[in-house]
Amino acid sequence: MTSTSPEIPAAGSVDLPISVETPRRSLLVQLITGMLSFLIIAVPSTLSGLFFLDPILRKRKAVSDDTADGEVPRKDEAGFIRLDVTKEAVPQDGTPLSVTVNDDLVDAWNMFRDVPVGSIWLRKVGDGPILAFNSICPHLGCSVDYIREENEFYCPCHASAFALDGKKMNDIPPRDLDVLEVSMRTHGQQDANGHEIWVKFQNFQRATSDKIVI
Amino acid sequence: MIALINWLETRTGVKALMHEAFNERVPGGARWRYVWGSTLVFTFVLQMITGFMLWSAYSPSTRTAWESVYHIQHEMFLGNIIRGLHHYAAQGMVVLMAIHLIQVIIDGAYKAPREVNFWLGIVLMMIVLGLSLTGYLLPWDQKGYYATQVTTNIMSATPVVGREVQVLAQGGSDYGHLTLTRFFAMHAGILPTLLVGFLVLHIYVFRRHGLTVHDPKRAPDTTFWPDQVLKDSVACLAVLAVVLLLAMFRAPELSAPADPAVKFDAARPEWYFLFLFRFLKFHAVESLGVTFGAIIVPGIIMGIIAAMPITAKVLGNLGHTLNRAFTWALALGVVVLTLMAFYEDANNVEHQAALTEAHRDGQRAIELSTGPDKIPVEGAVTLLREDPFTHGPRLFAQHCSSCHRFNGHDGRGSLVTEAGKTDEAPSVIAAPTAADLGGFGNRQWMTAIVMDYSNHFAWMKNSTWFRDAQAKHAAGGTVDYINPDSSEMADWTSGNLDALKSADNADNVKALVEFLAAETGHAGTTYDAALVEKGRDLAIKGSWAGALNGTSCASCHDTIGQDFPTQPDDSTASSYPTLAKYASLAWLKDFIRHPDAARHYGAKNQMVVYSSQKLSDENLDLLVRWMTNDYTASTVHDYQDQLEVLKASLASNASGVAAPKGNK
Repeated sequence: MTSTSPEIPAAGSVDLPISVETPRRSLLVQLITGMLSFLIIAVPSTLSGLFFLDPILRKRKAVSDDTADGEVPRKDEAGFIRLDVTKEAVPQDGTPLSVTVNDDLVDAWNMFRDVPVGSIWLRKVGDGPILAFNSICPHLGCSVDYIREENEFYCPCHASAFALDGKKMNDIPPRDLDVLEVSMRTHGQQDANGHEIWVKFQNFQRATSDKIVI
Repeated sequence: MIALINWLETRTGVKALMHEAFNERVPGGARWRYVWGSTLVFTFVLQMITGFMLWSAYSPSTRTAWESVYHIQHEMFLGNIIRGLHHYAAQGMVVLMAIHLIQVIIDGAYKAPREVNFWLGIVLMMIVLGLSLTGYLLPWDQKGYYATQVTTNIMSATPVVGREVQVLAQGGSDYGHLTLTRFFAMHAGILPTLLVGFLVLHIYVFRRHGLTVHDPKRAPDTTFWPDQVLKDSVACLAVLAVVLLLAMFRAPELSAPADPAVKFDAARPEWYFLFLFRFLKFHAVESLGVTFGAIIVPGIIMGIIAAMPITAKVLGNLGHTLNRAFTWALALGVVVLTLMAFYEDANNVEHQAALTEAHRDGQRAIELSTGPDKIPVEGAVTLLREDPFTHGPRLFAQHCSSCHRFNGHDGRGSLVTEAGKTDEAPSVIAAPTAADLGGFGNRQWMTAIVMDYSNHFAWMKNSTWFRDAQAKHAAGGTVDYINPDSSEMADWTSGNLDALKSADNADNVKALVEFLAAETGHAGTTYDAALVEKGRDLAIKGSWAGALNGTSCASCHDTIGQDFPTQPDDSTASSYPTLAKYASLAWLKDFIRHPDAARHYGAKNQMVVYSSQKLSDENLDLLVRWMTNDYTASTVHDYQDQLEVLKASLASNASGVAAPKGNK
């Protein structure tokens, strides 16, 4: 037990030249030690890194539909969603109409049935076709407003402006407003004269000149 | 490269620092016995790495904690491995800490001048135990919830400030969102920060005094790098390999979501606290109260350990010997108590049944959460609360199993027992006094009713009402009761048995059974439509071959083949039980509510009438839907059939017990 007696000086208080007493270490031992030390940290770190990449690496599962038997589903296989408003609700004079889009939303472990997932602008000129724009600004993702006095779409965040046909009016946004596919239907079936408005609701990558689906 | 190191060196002194760190003297050469401290540091780093990852996906609230842990383990990429590593490394840390502590005491490394470092180590140990305890609750599953309840209730037994300590830990008078946010802040923030701080001090002081070397002349001196580092990293690699293999092949359990309304009979602390759990169960300890067993005794033990440097100082070598003896005795006690707890649990039928139920519930919760509808916002706990597969068996055990059995057990997999004849006698297996309802309404059941009526209902003959009625009958009195051996139905079956068994009627019996089983509408079985129609004809018209021809079910049970009325009443009741959609959901619900109605058994009824006061509509629905297979199909391993076990134990234990012969 001599080694634990108080007489033993604290390490470092005696300055012995260690290299003199230390046998020469082969490079191999150093190499192996280095590799092992690296390994014990690299393995959990790599596993953790892959876990952190889950949002990129994991395949999403298909979402079920809870439509009752005999009912026309609210969303078809191509991704078109029936809006709550019909053709009649869209002003004839070309004034845009803001509409909320509802869909089933999967958020990690939860599923929310039929909840708002975004908003769009609908517009119709005379008897022409209905246009739909995603109301998210393609610049940096704020919401685009309709300014009645100017008769244009305007983003309050960074002053992006768009004409009512969606064309950009200044150089702030990288591209025009994102146009969404529209399909007029009756009881879910394609019908150019139908009153139901079905929209393929999608969000697109912001801050690029290309329209890339997220 | 060298230039860069030199540049850095002149500004930070990094080279000197590395030199200091790696060239520490190891007198007497590198040894395996020095690795334990390093493995502890490594395990802590592993916990930091995996802990940060889990943090990135964990959501502390009573409606999202279980859900996010489920998501991590069953949905996320490598989530099972990351959770598994964290789970097993936590246990590894406790084991390594125990080894480290014992070694320090045995080697006398706690003595002067290392007393302060010894105390720092004890603080670190407390922090690690605190981390284990707080982490156990975070998944918010039944296991963690009920085990931690015990711990926080023990806290409340602390003299003077107990209640306040408990409320502070819980974030309120009961468990809730704030319990999780507070435990999480402790687990991922406060305790790790303290641990890092004390660890730095611990290592600093350790370096000041160096290793405790017994035999400096054993081998030439060496340096920490690379000789000791090599041994340390091999040991760390072994630790990593063990936890990784465990994580890969033995995924940590996630039991059912915490539900204060659902008892959890399988509650146990983590295995390394089992010794304390077992200690508290000693009658002598129990009688002295929780404060004594869970606070005073562990407090004294910790006090003795903390005082070891002083003991050794005051008493010299005798003190050290006493300290070592105490440590060995304590270690032995912990091992013996832990083994006792394991052994007793393994041989405790009730605990094993509770464990089976816990696994069944947990797997079911995961099964339902994996479904296409995912988890409702109200939390996964509602998935189970509304699940007949989970709650049907419990309701059966609570309300039905005093007379009925389900495949021989009480619905929850256990045999039903009753007190022995005398106060001292051990409890015995109780004989059922009503039908075994396993497979109620399926083809086998219907076959038994048609072909084997008396035998099928033989359990009834164990009941007091049956024996009383028989005695009264024997004494010459008139009694109107259900007698499986002698009733119109029993007589029809036994009187026509030859005809029923004749080759001419083989297909007819099959058809009748198919019809009766199809009428139940139980999910999970497909029926042969042609056979069902043929059976319907037999039941209503009686188109049998031979002597049976013309005897139809409908001649007594006149509602057979009809729908069960939505508003059943007795206006058209005959003196025979209605077989309108017999054993279906609607029939069963009405029967349980009104077994004594004229449409069922009328005055002959012996079953308890379950009014909505006794069994709520919600619970009736869960029970009946379970019995009629009306729930999301499950692949979870269900309770084992105990019928043969029951029959065997009844045959060996008691005389005169009636039981159906043959297999079901």
